[in-house]
Amino acid sequence: MKILIIEDNPELTQNMVSYLQGENILCETASNLFDAQDKLLGFQYDCIILDLMLPDGNGLDILNFIKINKISSNVLIISAKDSLDDRLQGLDEGADDYLPKPFHLSELLARLRAIYRRSRLGGSDQLNFNEIVLDTAMIQVKVHQKILDLTKKEFDLLLFFITNKNRVIGKEAIAQHLWGDYTDDLANFDFVYQHVKNLRKKISQAGGKDYIKTVYGIGYKFDPNIS
Amino acid sequence: MKLINLLTIWYILITMIALFLGGLLIFKKFESEIDFELGRELDRQIDAYAKRIESGAPANRLIYDKLEIREIPYDLPLEELYLRDTVAFHDPMNRAENQLKASKSYKIDGKHYRISYYNVVVEAEDITETVVITMFSVFLIQLLFLGFFTRIGSKKILRPFHQTLDQIRSFNFQKNEPLHLPKNSIAEFEKLNSFLEKMSQKLLNDYRQIKEFSENLSHEIQTPSAIIRGKLEHLMNEDISEKQAMMIQSVYQSNEKINKIVRSLSMLAKLENEEFEAPEKIDLSPIVSKLIEGMEELIELKNLEVKTQIQENSLVKIHPFIAEVLIQNLISNAIKHNIDGGKLYVELNDYSLRIENSGLIPEKDPEEFFGRFSKGNNNSDSIGLGLSIVKQICRRYNLRAIYRIENNLHVLTILFK
Repeated sequence: MKILIIEDNPELTQNMVSYLQGENILCETASNLFDAQDKLLGFQYDCIILDLMLPDGNGLDILNFIKINKISSNVLIISAKDSLDDRLQGLDEGADDYLPKPFHLSELLARLRAIYRRSRLGGSDQLNFNEIVLDTAMIQVKVHQKILDLTKKEFDLLLFFITNKNRVIGKEAIAQHLWGDYTDDLANFDFVYQHVKNLRKKISQAGGKDYIKTVYGIGYKFDPNIS
Repeated sequence: MKLINLLTIWYILITMIALFLGGLLIFKKFESEIDFELGRELDRQIDAYAKRIESGAPANRLIYDKLEIREIPYDLPLEELYLRDTVAFHDPMNRAENQLKASKSYKIDGKHYRISYYNVVVEAEDITETVVITMFSVFLIQLLFLGFFTRIGSKKILRPFHQTLDQIRSFNFQKNEPLHLPKNSIAEFEKLNSFLEKMSQKLLNDYRQIKEFSENLSHEIQTPSAIIRGKLEHLMNEDISEKQAMMIQSVYQSNEKINKIVRSLSMLAKLENEEFEAPEKIDLSPIVSKLIEGMEELIELKNLEVKTQIQENSLVKIHPFIAEVLIQNLISNAIKHNIDGGKLYVELNDYSLRIENSGLIPEKDPEEFFGRFSKGNNNSDSIGLGLSIVKQICRRYNLRAIYRIENNLHVLTILFK
């Protein structure tokens, strides 16, 4: 997957690039509207990560630019402007998703993958990971061809883990991924622990390996290289 | 009390005093004028009788009930006209009456006569009656005109003032338009209007600045905070020791807290700035049901006993996004501060939203939790802004939030009307 990151803050761009590159995502960057338009005309991208506040204008202009030039890239808006209006306007003008800043990098990756699945693969995708097979259209998981009885949240959790495999994912990132804004006020993350525990149990019972590792007190890691 | 009523009352009081004093004055003037005229008339009569005596009429034959002629010693000096009130028998009315007696002496043909003449005076009661009736009529006429004035006149005169009031009432920060008040010819109102126009302009400027500040603040903090978060996430993936992990976790959580505070404060600022207009009433029941459903796992985790009584079509005039923030705040609070195996009751109807939950009973008055950064437990991880957002939302949409402890349960009620 090849993406263009349009963001004026170099540190933030750097954060995103180094996280996504590890996932075999080819990242190019543009720090202003002008550069971005230049690159969009010259190259083909699967997805654009778009910041709304740019030094030479509003990122929403890019949406219009894409429409006019019939560019087929998907757009994921990232914005510090946490206002409802921007969110609605962005989605109205053809953006595929909206992620308010600050976001977890694992969440960014999950959203990118989701957009990619939705638009390129018609929503249906099979993720194979050793003995585990995820069907995102059916919302179904098989371990050794045996269907697991997972809740929607547990399915999302597993998908989140596999998307971000080999990465340490913080408890906060998991909570926010599963419950969105509801976690704002929920300071304790016992429920994350509970969900991870259930998921591990169900995979183990079906004969799957226990890939999910606890990383000290910080979070979890889906480790494919488990012995 | 309406200004016009106050003015009317004052005006009536002052008019009454003025009419009373005027009445007294008129009474006195009347009395002295009548006495003076009567005196002159008596003087003329006495003179006429003196002439008749002079021309040879026998003095003692002239005497009748109104006339008294008496001879007094000649060597007494001549008496000037002398008037006094007296009570004398009045023949036609056949009773004693207040009369005015005028006397004067004349020296005629070597004799000294004192001629006194009586006449009935206009009685004080009669004058009083006349004066009172007159003054009262004047007063009534004034009242009539006053009524007319307050009904019609004042409406016309105060119209610019009411127009100004209406404009102020509809003044709104969202519209971002200073007041434009119509010109009018009354100097005081014109002064008021120009002052209000200037003030509204200044208010809008200040408002814009504060708004910009809070928006910039949250934006400016969010970007570095996002960088910190990203770097920490990278750091987590390095080969770290447990000690380092703990430190990363601690920094990470503090950073998350900054984030939450900034977001909550910017939400409070937006509410204070009266953003999120609510154009129409919305049904809260699907929002409440959806939020409870979304927190199902959290409820299960705490083994809470949940009872809900949600009436459909519970309409409230509130912005849908804010309604969600409000209800989510309340329900997540009720879960977060609950005890294991506790209770959670949610009741929604046309009249109120009532959330009851078990939990530790606070030492302080629960109403204090509506204050900013007020927490029941100082060690808790929450930032203590949740209920102040609730309070601000209630203020914004004219709702009433009540927090009480009843039967060892925390009861938070939002009254809609």
